[in-house]
Amino acid sequence: MTVNLMIDGLACEAAPGQHVLDVARQNGVEIPTLCHHEALAGQACCRLCVVEIEEASGSRDVVVSCTYPAKEGLKVSTNSEQVRRLRRTVLTLLAERAPLAEGALPAYCQEYGVTGYDLRFTVDKDEKCILCGLCTKACAELGNSAIETTLRGVDKQVAPPFDEPPAACIGCASCAEVCPTGAIACEDADGVRTIWEKEFELLRCEACGKPFATAEELAWLKERLLDTELNLAYCPSCRGKMSLKDLT
Amino acid sequence: MILAQEKLTELLQAYPPERQHTLAVFQDIQKECGYLPKEHIVAAADYLKVPLSQAYAMATFYHTFSLTPRGKHVIKVCDGTACHIKDSKGVLQSLERLLGVGLGGTDADGLFTIETVACLGCCALAPAMQIGEEYYGNLTDEIIAEVIADYRRREAGEVVA
Repeated sequence: MTVNLMIDGLACEAAPGQHVLDVARQNGVEIPTLCHHEALAGQACCRLCVVEIEEASGSRDVVVSCTYPAKEGLKVSTNSEQVRRLRRTVLTLLAERAPLAEGALPAYCQEYGVTGYDLRFTVDKDEKCILCGLCTKACAELGNSAIETTLRGVDKQVAPPFDEPPAACIGCASCAEVCPTGAIACEDADGVRTIWEKEFELLRCEACGKPFATAEELAWLKERLLDTELNLAYCPSCRGKMSLKDLT
Repeated sequence: MILAQEKLTELLQAYPPERQHTLAVFQDIQKECGYLPKEHIVAAADYLKVPLSQAYAMATFYHTFSLTPRGKHVIKVCDGTACHIKDSKGVLQSLERLLGVGLGGTDADGLFTIETVACLGCCALAPAMQIGEEYYGNLTDEIIAEVIADYRRREAGEVVA
């Protein structure tokens, strides 16, 4: 069963309940996002993916496309003047919160003509984090729930318990990997990974010899994949070239 | 004050080891200790099977929990709309003069800590404050001085007895 909707005048088919953002991207319509990650969907936090919609009933609204379900007869406008104006406001606020954010945020600011932030609203001039929560979600799902958002209101931040190097951290760096603004420092140098003020020795891939994972990460994986016969000592790149027989 | 292992175990085991009881456990710990000691947060997270990061996030999210030791009596000065208009700032200044310590601080005797709350829910008594389970309303400098003196007399009496 599928539903039919229009995105920017383009007729699209979608599974019922599929999110408008995903439908748009499948059909080549680009919508900007910061807090969206395919593997960790449903954050709906950065609000950059706002779109205008008109339901089949004729009612109109502005919604975040990353969590809005596709419906029969829905008309979506992803780049109207109102949408662009809203995105400028969102970008201004995010850029003021995190003046040193790297990557997509400054790029979108440029694209949308957001310049000269009002530093009256900037809490910390060195801030890179927009508090989207992707890192804590990644840590909970892929890692070991080592970090969380702590405190609240203007003091809210992403941090390990008691602001100490987190005992639960396995050094998988999923948090740094998904961060859209480069706010989590993770350095691999001389076979040692430093993250959250903790140091991990990096193990070398048994095939290519490149450092690729921490011992803690592999031990944690083994524990989760209880009955696995798989040899985890190969890096993802080498693993991809091997047959299942080579890996067991 | 850190609880003895036996006492802590008893406190924790009053609840099933499920995450939904985290806040209740924290409230009990704070009632006993006056704050949430780090080792008790760790023990509670372990018992309730909640990741420490999430337990810590909860402990820091709620204004009612303190992670640092507080005075024997916590004075909560109401700074809700009604009290604010009725000069809650004057109440704070009065307490500061009497205790020699400002908002968030604990006096030299370790007897009082001064905090504010958004609303005590007794706006007809504005300006108001709460000490422990007691409410004090229609505050003036004189009333505040008398209340503090009363607590100090009682403490002194306890020490003598």
